This record gives sequence, structure tokens and C-alpha cells, in this order.
Amino acid sequence: MAEKKKSIWKFGTREVVFAAIGAALYAVLAYATNVLQLPGAGNVSIRPAVVIPMFFGIAFGPIVGFISGFVGNILSDLLSGWGFWFWWDLGNGLMGLIPGLISGLIVDYKAIKSLLLGELFVILGAAGGMGVASLSEMWVSGADLNTVIFANFIPAFVSNIINGLILLPILMVAYAAIVQRSGRS
Amino acid sequence: MSWQPIFLDRLPAKIYEKQYRMIISWRYKFRNSIMDRIDPRSRWIFSFAFLISATMFWNANYLFVFFVLAVIWYAFGKTTWKETRHGWLLVSIMLFSMIVINTIITGGGAGGVVPPGGHVVWDKGFSLPLLKWHIDFGLTVERIWFAICQLMRLGGVSMIFVLIPYTMDSRAYGATFHGLGMPDKFAYTMELAFRFIPTLARDLSVTLDAQKARGYELEKVKGGIFRKIARIAPLLVPVTMNAIVTSEDVANAMDLRCFGQAKRTWIYPLNYHWWDYLVNIFSAFMLIGSVVAVYVFDQGGYWVPNWFLNLFIHH
Repeated sequence: MAEKKKSIWKFGTREVVFAAIGAALYAVLAYATNVLQLPGAGNVSIRPAVVIPMFFGIAFGPIVGFISGFVGNILSDLLSGWGFWFWWDLGNGLMGLIPGLISGLIVDYKAIKSLLLGELFVILGAAGGMGVASLSEMWVSGADLNTVIFANFIPAFVSNIINGLILLPILMVAYAAIVQRSGRS
Repeated sequence: MSWQPIFLDRLPAKIYEKQYRMIISWRYKFRNSIMDRIDPRSRWIFSFAFLISATMFWNANYLFVFFVLAVIWYAFGKTTWKETRHGWLLVSIMLFSMIVINTIITGGGAGGVVPPGGHVVWDKGFSLPLLKWHIDFGLTVERIWFAICQLMRLGGVSMIFVLIPYTMDSRAYGATFHGLGMPDKFAYTMELAFRFIPTLARDLSVTLDAQKARGYELEKVKGGIFRKIARIAPLLVPVTMNAIVTSEDVANAMDLRCFGQAKRTWIYPLNYHWWDYLVNIFSAFMLIGSVVAVYVFDQGGYWVPNWFLNLFIHH
């Protein structure tokens, strides 16, 4: 099968729908799994839904990944009644955008190379997204760098990469079957 | 009236409740408040102007003005404690962490603003009786004042943003962001995401029930964190893949209707009133005034008033 080079920055009708579905999925799953708390870490919940913007970024491009994370986090907070925290929404958006940068390179979603590349960009995405969100607390809260790293960045980053690293390959392999069946990617 | 998907209006109330009570309900409802009459675009403009302006200052005099402004804005929403307590719980945890732990005990939250040293009022730390731990810390007047400033600053910002889910109609988001200059496709994506939420919530609920019938337990999963996360897969995978397959049909239907070929119109058009212009003008003045106060007159800096110092330091 000839490999077709994908334009990762395209934002047509399909991308509009995928971004909307990604955002709604992220919001619903985050809301539904709020019951899962990390033992011994106050206010840090296990949020398996963070894999959604990462996966949508890899499957459908960085813009779809960004909107899934950014809008999804806004919707999740609206459903939970947690308010509107722009800098954390932006961080979640980046967590989808950064893995999306490799979407053009992935053709076979269940190939080992694709899975490893996806895992690497999950780590980079979580680092970039949570880094930006955490650093913004220096501006908003006036906290110093140490506080931001230990109180904001590390809990959010570690929790998100664990979720991403475990769940992303499962979704990629499942999506490979969909692509094979439908003939579209 | 609280919002519900239009297609569900036709369902008898009992069926609607039975199917949807588990997962989703928007927090917004019409309260006949002043906030209900302010255009959502003006509200976003005010909220962001407030955020940028308030975070420029550590001067308590200005922060007090911002705090009072936030209280007035919050009162415009006519929300009750019972409605908003969930949001405030999160804010309280954040404020406790930032003010009590990071500012008063460790001083980390004050490190970027409060100069080192200061007037010590407590240097003995404290002990946790059950754990028999002794925590050493030195509390200064400067850090206490900083905690008060931080409470006004974060409390003010929180009041502005916590209010949004409870007082902004979710149907208007697409039109609002379009009105604020967002391209049609992006604004429509937001609108579409709102539309998908009840459908995906139903899918999630059906999948959860189906998996539970096979012995799947979301809440009582044995094992460590990794095992818990991996056990989410039987719920996550079918819902996600089903949503992706459905998306293809939706995208095809939109293409057939020539989506994106012409400028969009919106079901809920927004119109500015004279009071919305006032809010916009006020927001602009607040932002410009803050920039001038901080960068021209150097009024934003942190300082402790003498009357507060005198409360702790006896000459």
C-alpha cells in the first residue's frame, strides 16, 4: 500500500468534527472518572481521559489535539462546576498539540515504531503542557519556581504521563483496526 | 430554564431522568439576574481584563479595590452557596495550598515577591501531635501581609471565573467566541462539542452498564495505580472508537450540506446593549489604568503598611 503524506495542519470538516468529538469525549470521561483519586496525593485525581487529546492529536493532527484538550478541559470544568482556568486549559491543549506534531509520520498505528514514537511524544506533550500551565501559576499566584515545580508541575506531569503511556498504545492498536476496516486514516 | 438537548424535549420526563441522571447536567440556569442581561462577549472581555489587571499588582490598596470589584461582579450572578460549593471546594484547596502551606509555612509562594528577612513574629515552628513531627518555620509580618494580599488577589480572580459555569448559557458559547473574533470553524467546533456531550454521556452510560453486566467494576478495582488505569480500557476503547466511527458519518453529512463554504449564521444571535458597551469601556479603562499605574507610576509593588507592622512589633 502506498504511503500517503498527510498534511498535519489541515482543518477541514472532518477535523472540525473530530475536534468536537475529542473535546466532548475528554469532558465526559474526565467527569465520569473523577471518583478515582491518587492515594496519598491530595487534589490530584487519576484522569485517564488525558489520553484523549494525546490520541486525537496523533490520529487527526495537532489542531484537533489542541482543541480536544483545550475545549475538553473547559467543558469538563463547566460540567464539574470548577470554574474557568484559562492557563490550565491552555496546558491541556498543548498536551494534545505536541503529540499531534508526529501525526504526519504515523501510517500504521499498531507498528512498534509508531507506538514508541507516540509514547515519546506523550511525555513531551505532558511536559510542555503541564510546564506552561504550572509556570503560569508564577504569574497568577506569585509563587517561586520551586513551589511551582513541586506543588504544580510534578503531580500533574507524573499523573498525566502514567495515564498517557498506559492507555495510548491501547487506543492506537484499537484505532488501527478501525482504519483497516474503513480504509480511511 | 435549564438547558437540555432539543431532541430530548419530546421524551417523557421519567425516561429522560432515568437515562441521563447518572452523568450529565450543565450548571447553568436562568436566574433573572443582572449577569443574565450582560452579553457573554462583554463578560469574557471583563473577565480577562480583570485577570490581567489584578495579576499586575501586589500593592494591597489596589488589590482591595479589585477584590471589592470581584465581590460586586459575583453578586450580579445571584448564585447560591448550595449551587457553587463544588467550585469553591476546589478553590479552597488551591487557596489553602497557596496561602497556608506555600506562603505562611514554607514561604515558597512568597519567594518571588517578599524580600528575604523581615520582622519575625514566630520562630518556634509547630508539632503534629499524632505523628510526633516537628515542623520548623519562621513566620514574618511580611509573609502574613503577603498572604492577605494573595487571598485578595486569588480570591478576586476565583470569584470572576468560578461564576462562569453557573451563569453563562452553554448554548451561546459558539456565537460568543465567534463574536470575539474566533474563526467560524473553531467557534463551530466549540458549539458542536456542546452538542455531542449528551450523546457521548449516553454512550458511556450504556457501555458502562454493558461492561458491568460482564463483571466490570470501575470504582472497586483491586491493584495499584497502573492496574487501575489499565482497567479503564474496557470503558475507554469502545466509547472512543464508536465516537470516531460516528464522526465520519457526521462529517459526511456536513460536507453534503456544504459546511464551511460560506459565512455561518448562529441560532442564538448576540446583540450588544448600551450597558454592554459600558462594561466594555470599563474593562478597557481598568486594563489601561492598571498598565499606567504599574509601568508609569510604579504602583504595583509589594509593601507592608506601618499600621500592620505595629500590630506585631511593639516598641
